Amino acid sequence: MIRRAMGNGQWAMVIAGALLLGGCPRPQTAPAPAPMDSTAIRDSLAAAARRDSLARAARADSIARARQDSIARAVAASRPDSVRAEVQRDSVTASSPMASGLPAAEDQLLALPLYFETDRSDLTAESRALLDNKLELLRRYPRLAIQIEGHCDERGPDEYNLALGNRRAATVKRYLVDRGIADERVSIVSYGEERPAVAGNSEEAWSRNRRAEFRVTRAAR
Amino acid sequence: MGNGQSAMVLGLLLPIVHCPLPAQDTTASGVRIGITYAPGTRPALAVVQYTEPGLDSIGVILARDLDHSDRFEMVPAQDAAGFVVSLAADGPGRVTVSLQDARTGQVSLRRPIPTGAGLRAATHAVADEIVRVAFGQPGIASSALLFVRNGRIWRVDADGHGARELRTAGSPALSPAWAPDGRSFAYTAYVRSGQPIVVQDLASGARRVLDGTEYGLNITPAFSPDGRRIAFARGLESGTDVYVSSVAGGEPQRLTSGRGDNLSPVWSPDGSRIAFISTRPGSPQLYVMNADGTGQEVLARFDFGATGTTSAPAWSPDGQLIAFHREVGGVPQVFVLDPSRGSLRQITGSGRNEDPSWAPDGRHLVFASTRAGGRDLQVVDLETGRTRQLTHLRGARLPAWSPRLASGVDR
Repeated sequence: MIRRAMGNGQWAMVIAGALLLGGCPRPQTAPAPAPMDSTAIRDSLAAAARRDSLARAARADSIARARQDSIARAVAASRPDSVRAEVQRDSVTASSPMASGLPAAEDQLLALPLYFETDRSDLTAESRALLDNKLELLRRYPRLAIQIEGHCDERGPDEYNLALGNRRAATVKRYLVDRGIADERVSIVSYGEERPAVAGNSEEAWSRNRRAEFRVTRAAR
Repeated sequence: MGNGQSAMVLGLLLPIVHCPLPAQDTTASGVRIGITYAPGTRPALAVVQYTEPGLDSIGVILARDLDHSDRFEMVPAQDAAGFVVSLAADGPGRVTVSLQDARTGQVSLRRPIPTGAGLRAATHAVADEIVRVAFGQPGIASSALLFVRNGRIWRVDADGHGARELRTAGSPALSPAWAPDGRSFAYTAYVRSGQPIVVQDLASGARRVLDGTEYGLNITPAFSPDGRRIAFARGLESGTDVYVSSVAGGEPQRLTSGRGDNLSPVWSPDGSRIAFISTRPGSPQLYVMNADGTGQEVLARFDFGATGTTSAPAWSPDGQLIAFHREVGGVPQVFVLDPSRGSLRQITGSGRNEDPSWAPDGRHLVFASTRAGGRDLQVVDLETGRTRQLTHLRGARLPAWSPRLASGVDR
């Protein structure tokens, strides 16, 4: 922690101080050094520690804030009465996909899945390029709202895959929101390994199943 | 069971409890009430089979239940060395089961079974009673399991009979968890507007949303031992964390925070601790904390980058052991950890074996396995290593073994 908070210059100063204190064979004959004693070193270490603890507190703060924000956003986007009503029905299969209202080429672009590496939730270069195109599309059609679905291959633990899929969807959403797409236009969900795109247990099938999909929740027009 | 019947059973049991049988050796460690056997060997037991309608099915069910208890050496009736279970038709609609010591002739249990609709349940209850008389702890034939198949919740009796899909909310519906009284269960329901934890009554099918799970991705519910609270994991944009909510209602309390995802909480049987899976070290591993979220620490040791992904903890009913699955060479296998001794035992080795759950007797585990082809449920007896296939459905997973079910609970 201290190492991270102190710049190179500070380390150089500490090392120089240490050399001056312990390393000079004949201090009497040496020219008077720049005033640098153990008190100064202590002070500079203490200052660094203070900066470090402030930085730590700021980081903790920002993590807590991010979580509070994401709770607040989720609560704001939720429809508790709908959830309670829908739970009273026996299992219904998922709703049929909503039409995007986009021209065919753009509709296809929006529907292209992003793929992930095994057990990873960060974006590949290829995914970023594709996502940049979707970003442009979302900018062009400001009414369009989407849900990002995170999916996994069948290999990991079933329940862990729900969390992994959630992380994948959240990563994609953050990429879009960080580039100016309004938060309320993008929701996330994870299906873990529950809805594979491709059946089978080959590397080919797995790589097609580690993906984020894009569903329209509000048509472009 | 009427009072008269209770009195009769007690009348039969009391002499056994108070007057040791002549052959009983109270110093041998393997001795339980009523039956003597040397440690490491199992007492012989025969179930007399009949051809008369009614008696035949009871005989078959009893023999299978007692065999599946893994506590007896099942032998043919004519070789009856130890104990004999026999049946007698007492008149229309009633059969009496008797457990008799072959040497002394002493009858240590006599129980009526009504033939008709409740026959299976009554027969399982008698099988469990026979185990209790012999070993001081009832069997598990009366218990049941919930599991997931094709995104729906299913139920099956502990002997593999009567597998059927339940009417539940959501598609998919995932991760069923029993309430400790066996009357309701909780699960994740994917509905159009969210993924709440739903608590459903088994008998009536009545459902409600656990308070505070109307938003976010709410997964892996687990009832506290007193049945009043549910621990679960909630996925938000900031990650997945463990929460606890009161079944009666109110805001959930968050127990984990910081780096990584936290999920799959399970309570210790005394309610003081919660084991859970955390990705804070970079890959999912097994952690434990106090029930208020303090004192979080590693529960199952691992080597960074070497130990496989660890998942799906299940705390044994006596609180001594924790089962989970961990990848070995990329293939999940079931392990049992004894934290007090620091010992770890690998239970499975053939096929992919995942998501263990304890039987209420604490010696059997159910898990999802590919060893028979598709994913199906297998039951292993930890004392003998004997394994049997419970379902033949190709696609059964995420099993949850019930607690002991009181008579009258929906089956």
